[in-house]
Amino acid sequence: MNNIISIKDITYTYPDAVSHAIDNLSLDINTNEWLSIVGKNGSGKSTLTKLIDGLIEADSGTIEIDGQTINEDNIWDARKKIGIIFQNPDHQFVGATVEDDVAFGLENQGVPRPQMVEKVDAALEMVDMQDYKTRDPQSLSGGQKQRVAIAGVLATRPQIIIMDESTSMLDPKGRKTVLDLIKRLRHDQNMTIISITHDIEETQLSERIVVLDNGRVVKDGLPESIYNLGSELTNFGLEEPFSSQLTQLLRNDLKLPEGFLNEEELMDSIWKLSSKM
Amino acid sequence: MPGDSLIYKLDPRGKFLITFYFIGIVFLANNVASYGFLLLFVLFAVYLSKINLGFFLKGLRPMFWLILFTVLLQMFFTPSEHPIWNFGVLTLSKEGMVISAYIFVRFVLIIFVSTLLTLTTTPIEISDSIESILKPLKAIKFPVTQIALMLSIALRFVPLLIDETTKIMDAQRARGVDFGEGGLIKRIKSFVPILIPLFVSSFSIAYDLAIAMESRGYRDGEGRSKYRMLKWEMRDTVAAIVMIVITGILLMIRSY
Repeated sequence: MNNIISIKDITYTYPDAVSHAIDNLSLDINTNEWLSIVGKNGSGKSTLTKLIDGLIEADSGTIEIDGQTINEDNIWDARKKIGIIFQNPDHQFVGATVEDDVAFGLENQGVPRPQMVEKVDAALEMVDMQDYKTRDPQSLSGGQKQRVAIAGVLATRPQIIIMDESTSMLDPKGRKTVLDLIKRLRHDQNMTIISITHDIEETQLSERIVVLDNGRVVKDGLPESIYNLGSELTNFGLEEPFSSQLTQLLRNDLKLPEGFLNEEELMDSIWKLSSKM
Repeated sequence: MPGDSLIYKLDPRGKFLITFYFIGIVFLANNVASYGFLLLFVLFAVYLSKINLGFFLKGLRPMFWLILFTVLLQMFFTPSEHPIWNFGVLTLSKEGMVISAYIFVRFVLIIFVSTLLTLTTTPIEISDSIESILKPLKAIKFPVTQIALMLSIALRFVPLLIDETTKIMDAQRARGVDFGEGGLIKRIKSFVPILIPLFVSSFSIAYDLAIAMESRGYRDGEGRSKYRMLKWEMRDTVAAIVMIVITGILLMIRSY
């Protein structure tokens, strides 16, 4: 499989910090993969995002994006391939209205106006916000603002979307609309999704989970294998999935299959147990 | 809320310049006819905007004391050959009363046209107009686009900072700060614990925004295209011509 991002042995230390924020980290991310990066506060998740986007420069090591090692000369080209949705919807809204904000990235690339109008409309349609085109950000809900932020990123057609805890400030409904949207986009637009999160429900949507701790990759695997860590998960700033907690409790009394079961699998096995009796 | 009357639809650049031009020519008026003419014109513009006159009267309110003070000053300190009433330095005369009436009308005219501009133009349109009007300054390396972007971001963050202030005030109130009590000095002092956290949070918002902007490819003002477009139309040219005609009439009926 192709690696869209290939990180080799990078180390980064914040100015005046004692320890490394990112410590000799290597990571390959496949094209069209949905990868979750988890870890507790200060484990280096957000620093890693900034390094990938070249917003900060690594002390050592290399980052390859779409086959190109990023350096000062091509960083702006690399950045075009990456869109980031940040945590706070209010702090990333640049434009005075929804359409202005969506156009911001295009304006930066110097896209001529007629094409810009088309692309803004198309992006707003993708996130289903076309009716709010002329509204100002103050009149939108958190979920709607994040959808506008996604439209702003989509307008420039990136290959990679990084969600830097972008659902953590949303209510459950807002979170669901944003995640459904990302799921759909990845499917339709063939994008690579990197999701940085504390939310276990969100990691269940991904194909692979990377656990960071102290700037290092400590676990890397399929969601099931990570959930199987059980209570060890809490050390990495994650809560055990509800179904996993329930399975643990039920194992004492019932004979359940080995390994991680999601809610549906758990339901099925319980149901089969009773029918056998 | 944007309306759909003619005045709303005018190009903001034209409106902006016309407003300043009008404020300039108000000072040409010097008799009943010319003041009356300008007043009629402004009332006609207000009528065209389809905005309730009440909003304009509200615009006068914050200026009330300034207007009153200036009018009284003119009324009692205009020197005259034939005073109606005299007391020390105070003189009340017919000339004084006429001049103070002119001053009053001048205030009303200026406040009405500027209210008309702000009511029918969104802040972002004003910032666009400033950018467009200052464009020639680019020749002397004046960062016009950057300043316009700064202005529009500042406007965009006003409501956010107001929210932030309310939040901080509530947090301080919960800790027992009373903002409405004590003398002037004490009240001013009680604002220090609001200002400092407000500064801190605006810096952190600015940092977040800068990162978000850079990640979306913002380098500096150069090489950017513009999404918002101002369009100069026939009606804007007509409005400009109307202003020239107004000036002509004004020059004819003013006394020399």
